[in-house]
Amino acid sequence: MRAQLANRISPKGLKVWRLYGWIQTIILALVAIGVGVLVYIFEWPWWIYPLEAAVLLLFGYFIIILFPKVRWMRWRYEVRESEIELQHGLFIVKRTLIPMVRVQHVDTSQGPILRKYGLAEISISTAATVHTIPALIMAEADELRGRISVLARVAEDDV
Amino acid sequence: MMSEQRYKLHWITAIIETLKTLKEAILPLVVLIFANGFKGGGTGLWYVDYLSFIIFGVLIISLFVSGIIKWKRFEYWFEDDELRIESGLFVKKKRYIPFDRIQSLDYTEGIFHRPFGLVKVKVETAGSSNAKQAEGELTAITKEAAKRVETEMAEAKKRQRGMPAEEGEMVTSIEEMPIEEELNFRKMFSMTSKDLLVLATTSGGVGVILSGVAIFLSQFGELLPFEWMFEEISAFIKFGVLIVAVAVFLGLLGVWILSVGMTLLSHYNFTVEMNKEDIVITRGLLEKKKVTVPLKRIQSVVVVENPVRKLFGYATVSIHSAGGGIGQSSKINLFPIVKRNRVMTYLEDVFPDLYLEEPANRVTAKGRPFYYRIDFLWMLPVIGALTYFFFPYGLFSLAIIPVIIALGIWQHRSAAYDITGNQLTFRFRGISLQTAYMKKKRIQSMEMKQSYFHRRKGVATVIANIKSGMGVFHASVHHMDVKDAERIFNWYEKGGSTIDE
Repeated sequence: MRAQLANRISPKGLKVWRLYGWIQTIILALVAIGVGVLVYIFEWPWWIYPLEAAVLLLFGYFIIILFPKVRWMRWRYEVRESEIELQHGLFIVKRTLIPMVRVQHVDTSQGPILRKYGLAEISISTAATVHTIPALIMAEADELRGRISVLARVAEDDV
Repeated sequence: MMSEQRYKLHWITAIIETLKTLKEAILPLVVLIFANGFKGGGTGLWYVDYLSFIIFGVLIISLFVSGIIKWKRFEYWFEDDELRIESGLFVKKKRYIPFDRIQSLDYTEGIFHRPFGLVKVKVETAGSSNAKQAEGELTAITKEAAKRVETEMAEAKKRQRGMPAEEGEMVTSIEEMPIEEELNFRKMFSMTSKDLLVLATTSGGVGVILSGVAIFLSQFGELLPFEWMFEEISAFIKFGVLIVAVAVFLGLLGVWILSVGMTLLSHYNFTVEMNKEDIVITRGLLEKKKVTVPLKRIQSVVVVENPVRKLFGYATVSIHSAGGGIGQSSKINLFPIVKRNRVMTYLEDVFPDLYLEEPANRVTAKGRPFYYRIDFLWMLPVIGALTYFFFPYGLFSLAIIPVIIALGIWQHRSAAYDITGNQLTFRFRGISLQTAYMKKKRIQSMEMKQSYFHRRKGVATVIANIKSGMGVFHASVHHMDVKDAERIFNWYEKGGSTIDE
């Protein structure tokens, strides 16, 4: 077996994902309320109410509690001298290996929610693919970006 | 500095540009005319009756004028070892392309070019992120002018070589090139007329024509008298099965002949030549195309064995190159059709450093169920629905189960990989069997995927990401033993840090 990777992403990332989950659940709840109003107006069968509630509860459980937890537990990364290795995935665990010599550039970016939590995501681009580590403490992300760009030295003629 | 003579394109550019814009706008125009033109009516005012024709006329004239302006304002010249292009009337566009960034010049001779001995030149650069800006196209210049661009480029590169390396990385790639340029090309491959026939018969061209007919019918369906046709057809069917069969046969024959014609137009005189640095592919009957692929830009070689072509004893060889603009497929058919028993001989000739043995490591038996198991997820609901709604006959859909399982087993038996030195070979099958030959330094990143069930059985899917133009080519072997997957990962990891082979 290949060794387990060393670093996890910030626990705050879990909070952010839960927040995303809340937002999606609230949107779904609004839709459900809309449907509820329609059921009331057009006198559709009563059992649509409990069905809606059940769907909403299940959706909320999965997307606010379970999925972020599993995703966070799975997310690991390691930046070594000559390669970057990532591991993530919900149902399917994906491990990615990116040699340093293939890295073309590194970006950090943050949206409003990430900024509020002092987080940033870091994107590592090769000539063909882009790989993202989604939630790192900002200082850590900046440090990592610096480190990768020092280590990365693309061989020009290889692309 | 040297003389900076500015050159213009040939005047035919104006016509080509006009027709190009017209071609893009033709369908809406036709619809417009059909919708308005024949209403007749007669309001008494001629300009209302013929409004659409007037719009059409004005449009064509304005397109033509803009074509002329485009041609008039377009200039190119050579300065400071750069190809400089200036164009545009109100917004002046300047595009300076350094010669040492130019990877290749691609030539196309269309039907408008040939009577005047002209050629369209497309400049391919080593653009990575700024490929959009760094591409140039000279729509129509004489062959002498094209030659001049080539010599200017060669001279500039020679000058660069003589200079001390100031901007390190820019020059390294040039220094690696042999000083004495080998310009004599060797002919590596060409297609016979029999090859062309097989290519036409087995290509998707037949499907393209049929779908083209379908699109035509859907576009102009309202104009066709369907009711009348229906009556005609039902009368026709009464003539008997034989006549219908003959008609269908004739229809298919027509489609086939069309397909052969299309293939002939695009692939006539298909030739592959190469020297030390480039592969040059020439093809086409009316529109002659010449594409140059620098050898060092080639990312991977793929042998594709389509089952139908295999029946005829043929296969296809494609290459993925890092060149090519945005939205352009950079999967190039190096040998569109080639006898299967000759594939390796040809490949050995073109790519002597490739290791071409059959990949020996098959996917173990524990991976087999994964090749068809996931399909039950969609099969069962579909079969269930069909059986429910069309009760007795819907049961026939059960026949799909053995077909899917057989395909899965076939895919499993085909899947294999091999590691030889710094080369990874993947073999995998969708319907066609593909064998991808990849050098370690061309693999941009690798992925290993495992679902819960994979982990329980100890299998994994391995994907190698290869640059292909602006996109990615994913070569993958599914459901292999996790030990093999890790072996590939370790191989990729170890040498991954060395730049050289």
